[in-house]
Amino acid sequence: MSDGKAFNIDLGRLKSREKDRSPQAIEKAERAGEELGFVARDGQKRRGRKPSPRTGQVHAKVMPGIPEEIANEAKRRGVQQGVLIEEAWILYKIKSGI
Amino acid sequence: MPTIVIASPKGGAGKSTTAILLGTELAHAGANVVMLDCDPNHSLTLWADRAPLPDRIRVLSNVTESDIVRTIKQHDTDGQIVVVDLEGVASRLVSRAISQADLVITPMRATTLDATIGVRALQLVAEEEEALDRKIPHVVVFTMTKAIRSKQHSSIAESLARQGVDLIDPPLMERAAFSALFEFGGNLRNMPAQGNMDGAIENAALFARAVYMRLAEGA
Repeated sequence: MSDGKAFNIDLGRLKSREKDRSPQAIEKAERAGEELGFVARDGQKRRGRKPSPRTGQVHAKVMPGIPEEIANEAKRRGVQQGVLIEEAWILYKIKSGI
Repeated sequence: MPTIVIASPKGGAGKSTTAILLGTELAHAGANVVMLDCDPNHSLTLWADRAPLPDRIRVLSNVTESDIVRTIKQHDTDGQIVVVDLEGVASRLVSRAISQADLVITPMRATTLDATIGVRALQLVAEEEEALDRKIPHVVVFTMTKAIRSKQHSSIAESLARQGVDLIDPPLMERAAFSALFEFGGNLRNMPAQGNMDGAIENAALFARAVYMRLAEGA
């Protein structure tokens, strides 16, 4: 199998040409491309609130007044009601040694 | 050092194979090469992950429309050649990369479909030359060619030559070793033998030399 260099590169002969990298020049290149169908394809960033990672649900009946208390506390802390239930569950697990 | 952009809006034209053959042969000949993987299919990165990279080669992955100009600027410095492998679609990323090129290479299979779509890259180069008031050297290389040249190949080559398109000689032939780069990584010289290795190495080296000569003459 051949292993020798087929040619040697004289780095001194390789020069980069001066290029205009100003926003105006890039915009000109983009406009030229758009007329030929070379358009933006990168996905745009999604706007708005990110989807919550809390996808599980609990279905619990509780005594009257408790839902209001949970809702008010969550509102006061600026968290979802699920956060309070998660915290309560952690405390229960610690208490029960689960 | 020069920036070489491999561009064709046609998928499957051989852009990534061309980029790897060019990058590895230029590095083998003594140049430091930075390869930018701008293809969402990450073909260059897949190759790079297969085996330790050959000496004097670096691969940067996930270069996107928003950072292509900045990334080329950062690496277009003394002592290294930048090779940009683009995605096979007509996109703004392609326009931006071409605006920063010292040489654009359009790989093209010798079929009417490839030629028809590939020519759009040449049109884009011409439009950008006018818009930027700068000459952007560009060449076409036929890829996956057969030992016996088809009538379609000859007809397309003549048509392009009549239009003043610079065709790289030799073309890149269809070779087991070229496609095996994505299986073994590295370069042609350190992979297990695949078919006619001497022929494959000679083909790749002469192609890279032809590209180098154009860069050196244009400097």
